[in-house]
Parts: sequence; structure tokens; C-alpha cells
Amino acid sequence: MKSKRQLQKESTRQKIIDTAYRIYATEGFSASTARIANEAGVSHGTVFAHFKSLNELLECIIGEFQISLAAEFHDMGESSASVSDFLDAHLKVLIAHEEFYLRLITERSLLPEEVQYVYADNQSTIAHHFNLLLSREIKNGIVKEVPVHMLFNTWLGMIHYYLWNKDFFSPDEPVLARYAGDLKHTFISLITK
Amino acid sequence: MKVCIACGMPMEKKSDFPQGDEQKEYCVYCARPDGTMRSFEEAKAGMTKFIMESQGFDESAAEKIAVSSMKKLPAWKDEFSKE
Repeated sequence: MKSKRQLQKESTRQKIIDTAYRIYATEGFSASTARIANEAGVSHGTVFAHFKSLNELLECIIGEFQISLAAEFHDMGESSASVSDFLDAHLKVLIAHEEFYLRLITERSLLPEEVQYVYADNQSTIAHHFNLLLSREIKNGIVKEVPVHMLFNTWLGMIHYYLWNKDFFSPDEPVLARYAGDLKHTFISLITK
Repeated sequence: MKVCIACGMPMEKKSDFPQGDEQKEYCVYCARPDGTMRSFEEAKAGMTKFIMESQGFDESAAEKIAVSSMKKLPAWKDEFSKE
């Protein structure tokens, strides 16, 4: 059983992660760790007692976001999933994290290089699941014979375009929830035979 | 659940382990045909290829991403402490 001290430590760490996630989502990655500490109600030093560096904090937050994506694909069960199921699962997670994801794609170049690599590496895992499924559907004669990484990049390209231009597509409400159906159906009609 | 010490992949099913051996700390993709773990250079090349194929990235960028990811994995700790 965990000691009271251990539980306290874990709860403080989680509070820092949750606060940092919220602040980065709403204010962007230029928000300072002092601001995060203040908002979480801990001292600035406490942040660095839990995370060795800013990089470690950022990597942890991006990692947590991408773990939620991986968990979604895992629950789906790759062998029986259809392309539509996969796109739904991807959209579901992105919709839940829209503000944070938008920051991630628009401000990526502001992040430390090592943190950007964590993002890119995790995207590869998502792409890999996507590609396995699409390769199977190409073999089954359902999806057109296009290199699978181009299919993944096209799908991301559509999502990112709507996010980048959220102010035009949906200024007053989250953009992905509003256009999820259009995006999915259009992509599926483009790639299927 | 175990996580591969050499590539970070979660190992959940028996088929995720080399030759189905669930005692192993590395996954089926990080094993050579004889079941031993692949070398640093082999792993680096494999992970670079994985990133290039999954997202279509340029080789030099994919290699940087692969190396950065390997730095965080226990199997390659000694390789990076030499630097």
C-alpha cells in the first residue's frame, strides 16, 4: 500500500500536469513554469522537484495526450476495426483535446527540439496503427492503392487545415466536433474504390 | 504490462515477445531471428525506417527522432553515457 506521503506526492505531480496542460492549451507554450506553479497552488521549486526540467514536463504532457490516443486505438481492437471506426476514434480524442492539439501543431517549432521529437515519434505510432489498417483494406480491395503514409498525411492535412483556420470555419464553437462527419465521410469517399 | 526496453512498444500479447517468450524484456521487433536482442546500430536503422515508412519523413529527420527516442530507453543507456 502507498504511504500518505507517496499519495500526496503523486497528487501534487498530477495537479502540476493537469494545470500545465490547461495553461498550455489556453495560453500556448510560451506560458512560464512560474505561471503554472502559481495556478497549481505550489511553489516554483515544487514544479522542479517533480520534473527535472521544462523539457521533462512538456514531454510528460505530450506523452499523456498521446497515451490517450493509443488507449483509444487499443480498445478498438485492430483486427476487427474498420477505417470508419479508426477515424472516429482519432477524431474523438482530438475533439476532447482540441485546444491543446491546436497549440501543439501551430506552436511546435517553439518547443525545444527534443520535445518536438517526442511529438513526432508518438505520431509515428499513430501512423503505424493507421497504416496497418489501411494496408489490410488495400489488400481487401476496399481502399485505393496509394502509399499508406500519403493516406495518413492526407487525413492529418484535412484535420490540420480546419484547425489552423478555426476562426473562419467555426469562430464560436470547437471546429472538429462541428466538421467531424464531413471530414470523415469526405476522406472515406476519396480513398475507397 | 511490460514495455520493450529497446523500442518502448507495449508488450501485451504472447506474440509481442520474441519466440513467444514472455520472460524477455524486449519485443519481437527488437529481436534477431535467433531471439537475441538487436544491436544499437540495428535498432537505430530499424526505428529510422519505421518513422520514414509510417509518415514519409526525410531520412535525416527520421534518424534524429529515432535517436532522441532511444535516449529515453533503458536498453541504450550505456550507449549514450559514452558520449
